[in-house]
Amino acid sequence: MRCKVGLIEFRAAGEPQPAISNEPAIYTNWESVYQDNVVGIYQLVFRRVGNAADAEDLAEDVLIRTLKTLRFPAPVHNVRSYLVKTAKTVLADHWRSHYAVQDLAVELEHLPLQGSAGPSSKVASERAERLLGLLPDQFRRVLELRFLKGYSVREAAHEMGVTESNARVLQFRALRKAAELEGEVMG
Amino acid sequence: MTSSAVDRVSRFVDELLRGRRPRRFTASPEEAEAMMAAAGLVAARAGTDLPDKAALDRIHRRLSERLDDSPHVDARFTRRVWLRTLGTAAAAAVVGVGLDEVLTQQGLTGSGAGGQAILTPDIGQWRAVAAVAQLPEGHAMTVSTGAVDAIVVNDSGHISAVSGTCTHLGCKLQPDEVDQRLSCPCHMTAFSWSGKVLFYRLKKAPPDLPRIDSRVRDGQIELFVV
Repeated sequence: MRCKVGLIEFRAAGEPQPAISNEPAIYTNWESVYQDNVVGIYQLVFRRVGNAADAEDLAEDVLIRTLKTLRFPAPVHNVRSYLVKTAKTVLADHWRSHYAVQDLAVELEHLPLQGSAGPSSKVASERAERLLGLLPDQFRRVLELRFLKGYSVREAAHEMGVTESNARVLQFRALRKAAELEGEVMG
Repeated sequence: MTSSAVDRVSRFVDELLRGRRPRRFTASPEEAEAMMAAAGLVAARAGTDLPDKAALDRIHRRLSERLDDSPHVDARFTRRVWLRTLGTAAAAAVVGVGLDEVLTQQGLTGSGAGGQAILTPDIGQWRAVAAVAQLPEGHAMTVSTGAVDAIVVNDSGHISAVSGTCTHLGCKLQPDEVDQRLSCPCHMTAFSWSGKVLFYRLKKAPPDLPRIDSRVRDGQIELFVV
């Protein structure tokens, strides 16, 4: 009796080692899909909503929508592609319904779905560093203070020697510029 | 750009940075762009984009409720998830007993996730495993005595050791010196250098790693093992 999960295959004790197979890895039930992908999906949506409460709801929605339509056994590759497609739809729905954003091109293609949580978090952090490095000084400074050091607007304004209202404007412009540059960094 | 757009985005950022679910409002395309860039920057802070244990449990529970007419869960898979008793998992890893065999012999046992055990072998002895000079501050190394795989860490000058075997299914843990964690290569589970579970993507939290008594003598790191 055996069960393949992702690329790992488990066998009952004493069962002989099989010859190496070229068969694609498969999921045998929804539990295995959940186990193998829940963290990756959560991270993927978190990076587009930025908060845990929404990320939890959306990750669950992505998994439910996908799992309800799957038939098992299902190839791992197909399931993951479907999960990513579903995540894009769920994210677009989220931004449309909560923020009335109509023409949303959520560019998720470059966001890693798989991989260990450690390295992928590191990738996100390195990407942010590269992104900040491309920004003009004032823009980089305000985003570093706010997002990396956790300063309030007041503290950031004080640190930069500007008014709070100017700090808010700088933050807004810096974020718009960051959004514009994101494509370069993704590459 | 209007001042209200600036204020709305600023409030959105404040809420993200406080870890709150942001209030909903009608955003212009420019605001939405800025808000998504903000979400990406929040996620770039180390570890913030990882779900906590409670969130994973809630997601799993709700999926179970809504997918109860789905194909049956493989019984062996479920039993593996239940296998979280520290002693059982550690014993299986050390002596190479098949996990199913252990389950058959001992049945299902209660959760050991609540505390951290100390691996103290009945016939243990202090054994030198490395020179202190081999393990600078901020580094971790895997050592093996044959019977026990351990990971020794130097955390700001404090040397300690934990089992090097994942308490889930016995895969060998890999030290990650950048994030100061021990990662399981099999099922995206990670432990702190002190052996506490950091995150996992399993149905239930695996037990913390057993600690192994350690000391430094004559420039050598010694572990109390067999």
